Amino acid sequence: MITRRTLALTAAAIALGAAGSALAQDKPPIRIAAIGPLSGAGAFDGQLAIEGMQAMAAVINAKGGVLGRKIELITYDDKGVPEEGVSAAKRALEQDKVDLIVGGWFSAVALAQKEVTRDKIINIMTSSQHPKVTDEGHKYLFRLNATSTMMSDRYAKFICDKMKVKSVSFITINDDYGRLEVDNYKKLLGACNIEVKGNEFYNRNDTDFTTALTKLRSQNADAIYVSAINTSQGATIYRQIRQSGYKGTIIASAGNMNPKLVELSGPALEGVYSVSLFAPDTTNASAKAWMAQYGKMFKNEPSFIGSLGAQSVEVLAGAIEKAGDARNYDKIAAALKGQKWNTLLGEITFDTKGQALQNIYLVQVKDKKIVTAN
Amino acid sequence: MKGAPRIQALAAVAVLAVLPWLTGNAFLQHMMVLWAIYALLALSLNIIVGYLGELSFGHAAFFGIGAYTSALLAMQWGVPVWLGPFLAAVVAGAFGLVIGFVALRIVGPQFAILTLGFGAILHTVTNYWVDLTRGPMGISNIPPFSLGPIALDFTQARNMYYVALAFLVGGIYICHALMTSRRGRAFVAVRENPSLAASIGIDVFRTKLHGFVVATAISGAGGALYGHYLRVITPELMSLQYVAALIIMVIVGGKGTIVGPLIGALVYVSLLELLRAAGPLRLVVFAALLTACVIFLPGGLVSLWRRLRERRQAPEPSGAPA
Amino acid sequence: MEIVVFAQQVVNGLANGMGYVLIAVGLTLVFGVLRIVNFAHGEFYMLGAYFTYYVTSLAGIDYLGALVIATVAVAAIGVFANQFFFRPLRKEHEFTILLSSLGLALLMANGAEYLFGADPKYVNTRYADETVDIGPLVVTQQRLLVIAVALVMIAGTYWFIRFTRMGKMMQATAQNPEGAALTGINTGFVHAYTFAFACGLAALSGALVGPTAMLTHTVGDWAVLKGFIVVVMGGLGSITGALFGGVLLGIAESLGGGYISLGFKEAIGYAIIILVLLWRPQGLFSVGSGRR
Repeated sequence: MITRRTLALTAAAIALGAAGSALAQDKPPIRIAAIGPLSGAGAFDGQLAIEGMQAMAAVINAKGGVLGRKIELITYDDKGVPEEGVSAAKRALEQDKVDLIVGGWFSAVALAQKEVTRDKIINIMTSSQHPKVTDEGHKYLFRLNATSTMMSDRYAKFICDKMKVKSVSFITINDDYGRLEVDNYKKLLGACNIEVKGNEFYNRNDTDFTTALTKLRSQNADAIYVSAINTSQGATIYRQIRQSGYKGTIIASAGNMNPKLVELSGPALEGVYSVSLFAPDTTNASAKAWMAQYGKMFKNEPSFIGSLGAQSVEVLAGAIEKAGDARNYDKIAAALKGQKWNTLLGEITFDTKGQALQNIYLVQVKDKKIVTAN
Repeated sequence: MKGAPRIQALAAVAVLAVLPWLTGNAFLQHMMVLWAIYALLALSLNIIVGYLGELSFGHAAFFGIGAYTSALLAMQWGVPVWLGPFLAAVVAGAFGLVIGFVALRIVGPQFAILTLGFGAILHTVTNYWVDLTRGPMGISNIPPFSLGPIALDFTQARNMYYVALAFLVGGIYICHALMTSRRGRAFVAVRENPSLAASIGIDVFRTKLHGFVVATAISGAGGALYGHYLRVITPELMSLQYVAALIIMVIVGGKGTIVGPLIGALVYVSLLELLRAAGPLRLVVFAALLTACVIFLPGGLVSLWRRLRERRQAPEPSGAPA
Repeated sequence: MEIVVFAQQVVNGLANGMGYVLIAVGLTLVFGVLRIVNFAHGEFYMLGAYFTYYVTSLAGIDYLGALVIATVAVAAIGVFANQFFFRPLRKEHEFTILLSSLGLALLMANGAEYLFGADPKYVNTRYADETVDIGPLVVTQQRLLVIAVALVMIAGTYWFIRFTRMGKMMQATAQNPEGAALTGINTGFVHAYTFAFACGLAALSGALVGPTAMLTHTVGDWAVLKGFIVVVMGGLGSITGALFGGVLLGIAESLGGGYISLGFKEAIGYAIIILVLLWRPQGLFSVGSGRR
């Protein structure tokens, strides 16, 4: 069966090949390992991330590549479990001898994986949010996604100042991300006198939320804040909130606002706000070029998680160019931490622990599209 | 054991011991460690599935209990890491004793569903008891295995392999000793015909409980090794994903034998890698393998080799029960 | 106000429970007549949902029509599944048959991921979002549909087994396979028919319950576990048991999750069957004796 993935890979190969024919054939490609969940839970999000990387690599290769060399992406499936993430990283490092590694979706996988790459090879984690990824990181470890603390700080300001709500109830994913979020908000919203009326935790595999939502609805808060990263669960929750008869405001968390989520949630998401590092109606030139390429290569629409993948390739390309050598990791790390980077998500820098300081935008769903709000 | 099989066994151990030195590739060495740990786990499930003839869908829970026990003991209470697997075995065995005491009165598909239920409850508890287990966040930065004063780096796959291999050999020895003893023969009797076994005075329930506890204890030790090697554990260790994987290893390898689970683990680990590029297709392959073995080759891959051997030479009485 | 919340949770539980009933009826039938514990049952539920999705989105047929098509198509697939995965093992130990069903389940679930892709899908029916207000209580039309169809199917199945010729043959085969064969019943045919019927029911439940959430290839695992809990509670082979067991499970989950803790909601089903299996292994509502 010709799967979407086969078509995508073929398209990627053709795009890279077309770009490559313009380059000198004697220079070997720069090989970047792309490790993410490609099967099991998280498979869809993993696919989006890799597609984002492939589109950006195609854009860069079309402009001549890096140091006159093509970028070549090699994908690995970590199946969403730590030992597979470790096996993939080891294979990439020892067996396939790649030049750089990009990983990250599930935090547990990222935490195990960073030990394999510790001080051995540049490792960028795209989306894993667990604080320990950078707190217990290493000199070649970088993380792109904003932490939930950063996002909640920005979002709380908006909720406090602009949204006319006096009370909020939470429905939160039971993991490090969710727990941190709800703890943060209890403090931040309390500081501007918004009452947190209650919180219900749900699990990674839940598909029915009516019990929790009935409880929340009875609390009669002005708004319900939905903390959900997984697209499938998020869409189900948004729909079921409306199906429970709740008529108040829905606030979507900073988890993962992407076009698929909008499509699946239908009318439930209309007018809902969120924060994201990526707004599809951006005027950023690099982003527009990337989105155009993405549209040529893949059926899915460009998403936040895809943009993180793209950003990883973009900054790596820039840092390698600066360092002059794809395998001099000290120089590459220094380059990454040493300047501001103009990326498709705006201007970013990295702190000493390798944490990226990103721009956080307020977005809203209008007419089934994600647009920047002010 | 005597004679030829004993020499074969020693030779096999020697070969396994030399294996990591045949390659400098750290990735292959990592595969060997995974194989050894999975083989130990499959061996433990085989006691229940192969020797006792019952299907347990909760086995991954004991593996998880072992991993958490050893990690918490080392991190919260400063217990020396080398003690971890043994204490994990004790704790997992204790859980096995309680659950087995309750569940082994039932047989057949209801037993399978019962163990599934217990496994799921343990999974849920681990997920929610955040104060102890850190819930879905899991426990990270688990200290690697260490032999106290002996300064060997066990984050190196090659060194960890020997630890895992040592436990594996130990597990094999326990299985062998168990099956050649009177208790082992009782296992077979209970598996083949429980009422007949009871009529000649075998306490069916205690026999099964004995096997169940040994199996869960061994899997607890395996869990501890897993934790100290990968250094990150989450409640997902207790999920159906691992249960299915262990069952596949035992059935495809060959239940009721010692070599079977070892081969099953080897097939599982190597196919996972060989099929890495195939995405979800690799799981389809595993499923097809399992089904093919169940329908056409109920004795697993081991029986295939045995059939070939029997065709080539006159059948000789083998020394140890396979 | 408290009473309203309580009533709403009961209604939630009832709606969920009737979904479980639909899933469980086919499962219990297959055990009763074929003596097979079918772990792949949930995968037929999954197929029913996916087929409905593809028929509505690709062929543009409306939801109810797609539902019927999906049910029939999956029932047909069930015939083949029985032929290849269970018929050859007729004489084998039930252990082997169970493992075969496990292999089939894994094949179907992973095959679905491979064929349909990893992206979540949504079966768009106009009933899913429309709510009905019964006083202060709210329930969606889709869930009312589930309750209605479940009641009709239970009644219909019960009547079919009691009063039609095929139904009586199924009863006979369930009670005494050899005896039934001796009286001239083609047990092979009865088996195939029953299995197809059960798969059709599973597909129907998938098509009906599927739209209450998003659709991925893992929904089959969820469905078969719920099905087993209900069947064990009600008694393997008992249709009335499936009805009461399903409703009981749904309401227990809802009240447990609503008043104790959501984590409890997951575990409560398993806790119940552990108690049932230890106290009355033949199930709460069946008349047969359990094996000890």
